[in-house]
Amino acid sequence: MDVLLAVVALLIFPGGLFVIAASLAYEYVDRKLVARFQNRLGPRWFQPLADFIKLLVKEEIVPDGVNRGLFNGLPLAALAGALTAALYVPMAGLAPSWGFRGDLVAAVYLLMMMTLCIGLAGANTQDRFSLVGAVRALTQLFSYEAPFLLALLGPAIAAGSWRISEVNGYAREHLWMIVTQPLGFVVALIGLMGKLELPPFDAPEAETEIVSGALTEYSGRGLAFFRLGRDIELLIGLTLISAFYLGGLGNPLAFLAKTLALLAVTAALQSLFARLRIDQTVGLWWKAGAVLALVQLLVLIALKFAGVQL
Amino acid sequence: MPDQKLPSAWKRAIDRVALWSRINSPWLVHFNSGSCNGCDIEILATLAPRWDLERFGVKLWGSPRHADVLVCTGPVTRLARERLVRVYEQMPSPKFVVAIGSCGITGGAFHGCYNIVGDIGDVIPVDVYVPGCPPRPEAIIDGVVQLLTKLKPPRTSRARAAGGAG
Amino acid sequence: MSTTEFSRIQEAVGTLAACSTTSESRMDLRADADHLLQAVTSFRALNWGYLSAITGLDGGPAPTDGHIGILYHFCQGPAVVTFRVEVPRDHAVVPSISAVVPSAPLFERELSEMLGVEVQGLPAGKRQFLSDDWPPGVYPLRKDFSPESAVPVARSAPVIGSEEAPGTFIVPIGPQHPALKEPGHFEFAVDGEIITGASVRLGYVHRGIEKGAEDRSWVQALYLVERICGICSHIHATAYTLGVEALAGMTVPPRAQAIRTIICELERVHSHLLWLGVAAHEAGFDTLFMFSWRDRETVMDLLESVTGNRVNYSVNLLGGVKCDIDAAAADAIRRGVDYLQERTRHYLKIVTTDESFLRRTRGVGAISREMSERYGTVGPTARASGVTTDLRKAAPYAAYGQFPVEPVFSQACDQEARFVVRVKELFECYRVLREILDHLPGGDLAIPAPRKVPEGEAISRVEAPRGELFYYLRSTGGVKPDRVKVRTPSLCNWAAVVNVVVGQKLADIPVILAGIDPCFSCNDRSFTLRRRGRTGGSGHGSASAETWSWEELRAYGIRYYGGGR
Repeated sequence: MDVLLAVVALLIFPGGLFVIAASLAYEYVDRKLVARFQNRLGPRWFQPLADFIKLLVKEEIVPDGVNRGLFNGLPLAALAGALTAALYVPMAGLAPSWGFRGDLVAAVYLLMMMTLCIGLAGANTQDRFSLVGAVRALTQLFSYEAPFLLALLGPAIAAGSWRISEVNGYAREHLWMIVTQPLGFVVALIGLMGKLELPPFDAPEAETEIVSGALTEYSGRGLAFFRLGRDIELLIGLTLISAFYLGGLGNPLAFLAKTLALLAVTAALQSLFARLRIDQTVGLWWKAGAVLALVQLLVLIALKFAGVQL
Repeated sequence: MPDQKLPSAWKRAIDRVALWSRINSPWLVHFNSGSCNGCDIEILATLAPRWDLERFGVKLWGSPRHADVLVCTGPVTRLARERLVRVYEQMPSPKFVVAIGSCGITGGAFHGCYNIVGDIGDVIPVDVYVPGCPPRPEAIIDGVVQLLTKLKPPRTSRARAAGGAG
Repeated sequence: MSTTEFSRIQEAVGTLAACSTTSESRMDLRADADHLLQAVTSFRALNWGYLSAITGLDGGPAPTDGHIGILYHFCQGPAVVTFRVEVPRDHAVVPSISAVVPSAPLFERELSEMLGVEVQGLPAGKRQFLSDDWPPGVYPLRKDFSPESAVPVARSAPVIGSEEAPGTFIVPIGPQHPALKEPGHFEFAVDGEIITGASVRLGYVHRGIEKGAEDRSWVQALYLVERICGICSHIHATAYTLGVEALAGMTVPPRAQAIRTIICELERVHSHLLWLGVAAHEAGFDTLFMFSWRDRETVMDLLESVTGNRVNYSVNLLGGVKCDIDAAAADAIRRGVDYLQERTRHYLKIVTTDESFLRRTRGVGAISREMSERYGTVGPTARASGVTTDLRKAAPYAAYGQFPVEPVFSQACDQEARFVVRVKELFECYRVLREILDHLPGGDLAIPAPRKVPEGEAISRVEAPRGELFYYLRSTGGVKPDRVKVRTPSLCNWAAVVNVVVGQKLADIPVILAGIDPCFSCNDRSFTLRRRGRTGGSGHGSASAETWSWEELRAYGIRYYGGGR
């Protein structure tokens, strides 16, 4: 019986199918909100599902000169990483099925895998395995992944644990950390949007060549998996940030309410160019923000050492 | 490509789902083969709030690799001809072509001019022609919808079906 | 043109050319090919006017005329000074005037490609108008041209990089089939982020309209020229009809001219709003694109209710207009204009105060006034650099004499200025529209036009939304035109921008190009980038040529500046 429950939890709910379905639903909400901000009606509810299936049955043109194994394998690896990471977060507000000590680190690594796969896919689809694709991925990592990780570490330090479910529990019992660690919240949200290349936070520094991204070379299954992987990452990212900063997720209702609220914020940021005053040197601000988050982290560590109750 | 066995129930179901997804998620790539821009701006207008084609799952991409439907305007000038063929070839199957505007049917107002081909169908296979100079956005949408509702099975199996069971 | 001006020019040119006046604003200077350059140099020393167009005329093979005429049109205000050179058809050679007139090369290249005139001293460059597989020695605008002779030839490999210094370029490593990698509409040589050289390749939209007009009656040709550009269809029709009416000596009723002007201004509104959305989209601000195009629907509805079509309105007849504007239509236009004025105030605020927008536009793509005049930019692009030419004021046509327009200028010269000038021009459009509607003259809508237009030539210059539009018409007394020459404003601006982008940043190119307001379809073009070598740079070795699509370049620019929706 246990085994059966475990399989169900892995493949159907709250893992596997549920995660896939929920990510597609969230993609719909995001596109609908952006459309409404732009004064349009926007897509129908099943649109992301239709897009996904259509891509699955579309011909995949493999460019000449690529490593076929890598070409076909990378999207799968990215998707697998995302799905696995979903097992460790409080999806649907329920306790993670496969949590273990240190699973925060594991989850973050798995989320990073997506970016790495996209970067490698881009590198692969050029004429040879050039340094550029890797450079681009690494830049992306340093620009957004690292601050994102740091921002998640803050609440972990406060909770005194590397286990996501424990941090979640801690967050539920204490004051919302968006209040006590506001900088961390902002860095986490922007880091997530940067990771997923959601405008207006999709700018690595000017040095890199941002010609055709990895995804323009994929046309069928590979594109479908990458897009789905991105949607899942969005879902996981929103779940983590609301779990840590918005007072924890204890039940499905809280899950829905908090993650959707965050989604609305990201949709707003994507559309309302005039309202948000990103000042001249967004890159510089971003670096400063990340540094400050790091500083905040160090302060927290120091306070913890000193035994101060946070 | 489909084999010669009779499709099983599974295969039929999959085909139906696949067809449903294609009808509901038509991704477009737009190509101007030398038009006066009249048709092009009406195509862009269909994305604007008044008509909002995203409602039907239509998205306009820059790369032919992501597209299912090539929306082509203009009477195909000599210089544009080769590019048009290349764009068509870069699109993965299954793919369809909608020719927008009278220029793509007969050359329109430019019929007889020396630097044009005229009928887009002489260059690449066209599934739907939308006449007009330019056609209204509603007519363009109608053209895309007609394409979707009359979606034909892939060309090879259609040829076989026509030769076989009929 | 005053007698003093006339004598000044005559004196400067001296014996190099024979002067005559054909009307009070037209002056012809006949020179032969050997003295042309000298004559033009002396003329340019007067600093009078600018080169607006170069027309080539084929007199036809012997025993008819046997000559090719080349007309260089210099304009200032309403006055046009034309240098006329005649060369024999079998030895058509003229010197290039590009040393004296830097904006001439593109016009001269058109002359050589279309009429087979050898222009000596023309700077080397690519074919611009005809396709790469066009057979040599076949010239479309010659009278004895037959389409069957235009058999495609094997194309030669595109000449790349020959003018670059060694070390900045390597033959591109690319796909297996070099022919698949197209020569690219623009070519940029870059050093890091900075453009060091640029060239343009036109011809994708070359349909052969000027030749087609010779095969159609005067009325049929009207419908042809309307479709040169769908965005500014009416202004083409207006320029054409004004020219034909001048040839035929027709006095068009004032009501018709006023209605023509109303449609001209409505078209300017629609064109500027369209451009605003497209330019915003290029910079990554899709929300502004959606809103401005939604508002643009207001003016599209107005045009449709008056003329019956959203695009290609076909209002003009030879001799007047076919659509009337009654009281109800006038009220509808007034209401629409009121709404749009409100919205335009909002856009002006965005364009001048929004931080993220200004980051893409302020100080970007500066074209100094001197550069602008040197390279012949026209329209709002030129006015944003302080060049004070607006034909509606300098050389009023249609009803602009009765309802004058105040041109909008800026001295800021940068991209922001181009945005501001166009948005402010909208306010002027609204004002003029109201004024004409309030004082619409009564009377007929059209007078009958003759089937055969009397012999002669006419020049028609109007202010299209993008700048000065130049038409040259020639009749030999028949039912079909002998020559229709069209010089669009975008041609001038393309040539200019290729010169001014040197020194700009690559990420700014989409916005700069959008700033000159090219026809939308030009955004389908692709680019070839040649990068100077850097370690770990393009990934193709120390230097390479890559072909980018416009979409990729646009995305690059957006991400460079931290993107926006």
